[in-house]
Amino acid sequence: MSEVLSTPVANVTSASAAKEPVLRVVGGSKIYGGVHAIEDIDFDLYAGEVHALVGENGAGKSTLSKAIAGAIKLSAGEYYVDGKLANFDKPGDALAAGICMVYQETSLVPTMSAAQNIELGNEKLITSFRTLNIQAQQLLQSLNFHIDPATPVALLGTAKRQMVEIARAVYHNARIIIFDEPTASLTPEEIVHFFNLVRDLRNRGVAIIYISHALEESLQISDRITVLRDGRLVITAKTPEMTREKLVRHMVGRDIKQTHYARAAEAARGGTARRTRGAKVLTVENVTMGMVVKNMSFSVYAGEVVGIAGLIGSGRTEIAKIIFGALKRNLINGGTIKLRGKPVRYRVPKQAIDAGIAYITEDRKLNGFFETMVVDDNVYIGKLATKTGWRFLLSKLTRNKLASLWVERLKISTLQRSARIVELSGGNQQKVVVAKSLVQDPSIIIFDEPTRGVDVGTIPEIHAQIRRLAEEGKAVVVISSYLPEVLSISDRILVARLGRIVAEFDAASATEDKVMYAAIH
Amino acid sequence: MALDASAGGESKSVGSMLVQLLRKPSQEQIVLLLVLALLVIFSISLPGFSTLTNLLNLVRSISILGILGLGMGLIVISRGIDLSMVSIMAAAWSIPLNQMEAGLPIGWAILLSVFIAVLIGAINGIVIAFVEAPPLFVTLAASFVIYGVAFWIAPAWVVYAPKNAPVLLYPGQGLLFGIPMPIIVFLVAATVMHLFLSRTSVGRFVYGQGDNPEAARLAGIPLRPLIVLEYAIVALLAWLAGLVWIGTTGSMQMSITQGTMVFDVILVVVLGGISLIGGRGSVLSVVVGCMLIGTLLNAFTIMDVNSEVQNIIRGMVLLAAILLDNWLHPRDEETARQGD
Repeated sequence: MSEVLSTPVANVTSASAAKEPVLRVVGGSKIYGGVHAIEDIDFDLYAGEVHALVGENGAGKSTLSKAIAGAIKLSAGEYYVDGKLANFDKPGDALAAGICMVYQETSLVPTMSAAQNIELGNEKLITSFRTLNIQAQQLLQSLNFHIDPATPVALLGTAKRQMVEIARAVYHNARIIIFDEPTASLTPEEIVHFFNLVRDLRNRGVAIIYISHALEESLQISDRITVLRDGRLVITAKTPEMTREKLVRHMVGRDIKQTHYARAAEAARGGTARRTRGAKVLTVENVTMGMVVKNMSFSVYAGEVVGIAGLIGSGRTEIAKIIFGALKRNLINGGTIKLRGKPVRYRVPKQAIDAGIAYITEDRKLNGFFETMVVDDNVYIGKLATKTGWRFLLSKLTRNKLASLWVERLKISTLQRSARIVELSGGNQQKVVVAKSLVQDPSIIIFDEPTRGVDVGTIPEIHAQIRRLAEEGKAVVVISSYLPEVLSISDRILVARLGRIVAEFDAASATEDKVMYAAIH
Repeated sequence: MALDASAGGESKSVGSMLVQLLRKPSQEQIVLLLVLALLVIFSISLPGFSTLTNLLNLVRSISILGILGLGMGLIVISRGIDLSMVSIMAAAWSIPLNQMEAGLPIGWAILLSVFIAVLIGAINGIVIAFVEAPPLFVTLAASFVIYGVAFWIAPAWVVYAPKNAPVLLYPGQGLLFGIPMPIIVFLVAATVMHLFLSRTSVGRFVYGQGDNPEAARLAGIPLRPLIVLEYAIVALLAWLAGLVWIGTTGSMQMSITQGTMVFDVILVVVLGGISLIGGRGSVLSVVVGCMLIGTLLNAFTIMDVNSEVQNIIRGMVLLAAILLDNWLHPRDEETARQGD
C-alpha cells in the first residue's frame, strides 16, 4: 500500500474527481472472544461518494462501521484518514477527524431544541439563544431542511429528527458520515426526501457510508457497493455493475458444504431416517401487534424443528415474546394463539412456563442469566420458578443433582462450576441459559438466536441439543438471522418479513438463495 | 466472593476465604476488618471502651438501626428502596398507643399495630409492583402521607406507652440471661432474615430480582407478588424496630419521621456492601455496617466528640462506602457488558 498524500476534501465536488481515498482501512480485523467479527478487511472511501455496505445480519457491517467511527478498536489492521495513519481511542477522536455516525436510534436529547441539539458537544461558554437559533436556522436552510430550530426535538417526527442529526454532523464539519439503517423508520415520501439530502451531501464532497438491509435502496443511492459475508469482504464494485440478483448471490454465496453447520447437519441426518412429526401443538393465527407483527400465522408440531428466518425487525422475536407472555404490556391487536387447540393468552412468562413453553432469549447478558450467581444456582433457580419444582426451603441435594445432570448433558465446562457465570465463555454461558430453561421441562421450546456470540466449537453442540429435543418429541422453534443455521437444523423453514410469514420451505427444498430472496424487502 | 450468600459461600473453607480475600475482598470483608481494627485501637487507647458494659451498650445502641437495616437490606438487594420505613415505624405504633390511652386493650393494640404496618407495606408494594412506579418516589410520597394521616388520627408529637403494659416494654427494656433484650431481638431478627435470604427459594428469588429483574421475569419468577411481599416484610421489620423503640424510650415520637434516621439506615446497609445495583450483599453486610457505625459512635461518645464533627465523619464514611461500592461493582453499562 502506498502512502497517500492528504487532499483538502472540501475542494472536491464530485465522485469522479476524487482520486485519493479520504478513508482507507487496511487489513482490518476485530476479534470478539476468539471469533472474528471482521477479518482482514480492505476498505476505501472517496470524498463525494456514497458507498453502500450490504450483508446479512452478523456479516460485520456494524463492526466495520463502528471501528471507523471510533466506537470500537480494531484488533488488527490500521486505518488512514486522508492518507495519514489514524488512531482513534474514543468516538471523540473520530469526530474530531470529521467522521460522524448517524445511529439507527437517534442520539438526540429530546427535551432540547433542534438548535441546541445541533450545537451539542460544541457549545461555547456563553451563547445567546438568539444567536444559536439564527445560526441553526441558516444551517438548516442551507441544507434545505424545513425545521424550526426552536422546536424541542421530542415534538419532531422521526424523519425530522434524522435531519437534525444530519445537520449536527454537518455542523461538526463531518467529512465522512456513516448512516446505519437510516430509512428503517421512514415513510416512502420521507425516504425520497432523505435520498435527495444524501445526494446533496455527496455533491458537497462528503463521503458517505450507507448501511441498509434494503437492497433496492442501496442500489438506488450508492456509487459503489461493498458486500460483506461472515466478516469478510466479498466484493467491492461500482453500483451500475451490480444487480439485486448478483448482490444476493454474493451475500449468501458461501459454499454451504464447507461450513461446520452443514457438516454437523449431514452427520446428524446421515443414516437415521427423518423424524416423523407428531400432533400440532402450537397455532398462531393472524396475530397482530402494532406495526411490528402483522397477521402472523403459523403452526408448530411436536417432534419437529421449525426455523424462522428473517431480518432484524421482521417481527420474529416479537411473535416469540407474544407467545411467551414476555411483553410488558398487552399490545396484541388481534388474532389468537392456540396451545393444543385451546386459545391462550399469557400476560406474564410464568403462565407460559407453567403451560410448558420455554423461550430462550436472544440476549443472554441483558436478560438471560443472573450474573452474581454460580452455574448451579442459575440452573436451580429455573427449576424453583416452576409449579412442580418449587419448594420453600432450598435443597442443596436437588440443586447439585439438577446442575450435574444438565452440566453433563449440555457439556458445560465443569471446571467452572463454582465460578460465577460472567466468568464463563460465551458458549458455556449460553448453555447455562439453555439449561435454566430446559430444567423447567417444557414441551415447546423457542430458541431466539441460539448461537449468537457463541464460539465456533460450541455451535454444533448446541445444534445437537436442539435436534435431540425434537427427537424426544418436543416442539422446537429456532429463530435465527444466520441462514446456514436455519437451513442445517430445521425440518421446516418459515420466513418472516415485515411482520408476516411470507414463505415456507421444507428442509429438502430450501436453499439460501430462496430464503434470502423471501426475507429481503 | 466467599461471604456472598448468593454464591452459596457457606461451604467454603477458611483457607479459600483467605485466598478470595487477598485476590479481591468483598465489601463486607473490608468493613469487618476495619471494625476489628477499630475495636483493637479503641480498646488500647480509650479507657473504658473494652468493658463488658460498654460493649453491651454499643450493641444495644445499634439494635434499632440494625433491625431497620435488615428490612432496608432486603429491599435494596431486590433493587428497591424504602424511604418510608421510619414513618411506618412511627405510625404503626403512635396510633395504637393513642388508642390505648382511650382504653384499647393491649392485645388489640398490638394486633392493630401489626395490621397498620403490613397494610402500609402492602400498599407500597402494590403501587410499586402494579403501577410500576419507581420505589424511591413511591416510598418518599408514602412517608409524607403516612406521617400526615398518623398525626391526624393521633395528634401528638409524643405518645407515651402505658406504664402498666410490661409486655410492650419488655423487648426494649428487659434483660434475658443478663443480655439486654434489644440485642436479642436484633440477633433473632438477623438470624431469621439470614435464613430467609440464603435458605429459602423466596430469598433466592429476591436475589434474582435484584440481579436482573427481566431475567427473573423471563425465568418465571412471579415478580409482582414478590415485590408486595418484600415491602410487607420491610414494614413488619419497621414494626419490630418500633416495638424495641417504645421499650427503650417509653414512648413513640412522631418527630423521628422528620429526622434523618432513614438515611442512617441506608448508610449501614450500603456501608456493609449491599450494593444499590441490587443482587449483592447479605445480612452479614447489615451486621458489619451496624458494627462500624456503632463502634464509631460509641468511641465518639467516650471521646466526647461534638456532634458537628460526628456528622462530618458520618458523611465521609458514607461517601467512602459508595466509592468502594462503585469500585467493586462498576456501574457503567458499557464496561459491564464488554466483559468478554
